[in-house]
Amino acid sequence: MKILDPRIVREDFPILHRKINGHKLVYLDNAATSQKPKQVIDSIKYFYENINANPLRSVHTLAEKATEVYMDSRKKIAEFLNAEQDEIVFVRNATEAINLVSFSFPFKPGDRVATSYIEHHSNLLPWLELKAAGIKVDVVGVDGNSELDMAYYSKPRKDLRLVAVSQESNVTGTINNVKEIAKDVHKNGSYILIDAAQSAPHMEIDVKDIDADFLVMSGHKMLAPFGIGVLYIKNSVQPIMKPYLRGGEMIKSVKLDKITYESPPQMFEAGTQNISGAYAYGVAVDYLKRIGMRTIQNYEKGITRYLYNEARKIEGIKIYSGKSRQYGSIFSFNVDGLHSHDVAYFLNKKGIAIRSGFHCAQPFIEDKLHIEGTARASTYFYNTKEEIDIFLSELKSIVRKYGRR
Amino acid sequence: MDDDRFYQLMEIYRNPEHQGELEDFDRSSEGYSSSCGDRFKVFIKLEKGRIKNISFRGDGCVVSTVSISKVCGYVIGKTAQEVEKMDIEDIKDLIGIQNISVSRVKCATIGLETIKQALLVGHQADL
Repeated sequence: MKILDPRIVREDFPILHRKINGHKLVYLDNAATSQKPKQVIDSIKYFYENINANPLRSVHTLAEKATEVYMDSRKKIAEFLNAEQDEIVFVRNATEAINLVSFSFPFKPGDRVATSYIEHHSNLLPWLELKAAGIKVDVVGVDGNSELDMAYYSKPRKDLRLVAVSQESNVTGTINNVKEIAKDVHKNGSYILIDAAQSAPHMEIDVKDIDADFLVMSGHKMLAPFGIGVLYIKNSVQPIMKPYLRGGEMIKSVKLDKITYESPPQMFEAGTQNISGAYAYGVAVDYLKRIGMRTIQNYEKGITRYLYNEARKIEGIKIYSGKSRQYGSIFSFNVDGLHSHDVAYFLNKKGIAIRSGFHCAQPFIEDKLHIEGTARASTYFYNTKEEIDIFLSELKSIVRKYGRR
Repeated sequence: MDDDRFYQLMEIYRNPEHQGELEDFDRSSEGYSSSCGDRFKVFIKLEKGRIKNISFRGDGCVVSTVSISKVCGYVIGKTAQEVEKMDIEDIKDLIGIQNISVSRVKCATIGLETIKQALLVGHQADL
């Protein structure tokens, strides 16, 4: 396996060279959004200077070129997930993808859907909303180590139609065994939706191996621009789904008394899409593949282990993440006696960017962790061991100066 | 904000004035910030249309806690109309920070907003 040298990849990320409050930027808010390499940034400019046209319909050269790059990106992302091209639907982000499924899946009153306590609000709210339509909603529990109650999934439930679960938690970093969950879910005749927004940037995903029915991801967390994401829908599941948004480019024929819809993925892509975003998403995926997802995962494991080993020695902080058997590059913590916002404020003064607050997982943080929020540092493959040292040294200084005495 | 000013605010944060629950109050309301999880409850005793006494309970960051504590001290003796006119500019003076960054405006104003809410629509205590 290749060994990743962060000093080399960092050269591709212009923003990593800027200064914040007079200090070198240490960007540790990657779970919120990743930074973008110049290849992706340049591709957006290239698109608008050389390709820009409305794809799919017009026959002129530019429109055909726009169609070509759009389809080519679909192909790249399909290969990235080991999916078929017509299983890839472009959407705005993971949130839109999950809302789409909650709307288009053929639920009937009396059906049951399962989400979990460890989900981001985007994989919680669309399901909770279904209660109003007479759908029962189970929220699968987690234990003290932030591990899902796996027994829930293996128990047969006749009315359970769909299980929605994340592959990696954005608060605790817990990596769920979605392949095992999918096996149980399918044994019981239900469908599974996997929220890969947090996992896809960091690990190899094979939708066939997992046997996912639906899988969602956001481009902006994996080097692509904002406003472009992907919903994977397994071919055999597509016929049961009804259209989501209705409008242009998603129909075969329109008569006032009869509408024939396109097949997926077009059926779910009404209106002019974010073509430059999709194009840049393809470039982002090329970039990740060139380094290799296994190389990325291996490198991140190393710096995450180092971060945890050193942070566990610090007295005066509480760590909420990294308790599960498998976890990603997320470090959630609090300094005793300080609000997470104030910790983030102090770190920012030294150029260190982290997230603080609820991380869009309020029920988990309030009901399971019994706190008012956490500070969260999250790394990506361009973060260095030196940056972890800068973060840890500032954290120690905050504990010393402002922590509970 | 320089380190010295923040250090002073930390001292106030550790031991804020007007913290606690009034036994005798006319109005009460709860304020909550969904982004940070800050949660405060205020208790107000009125007399002849003016705030006679006021206190707060709850947890927040340095900015929100110092702000609610300072606003409580400031509004004693004021009418609901006078409090309604207050805004972020008054808070800047009260907490002594002029450059409140955009992400902290909510922290700075949650106390004042909760007090306004209590005065306008807050639950009347059972007297």
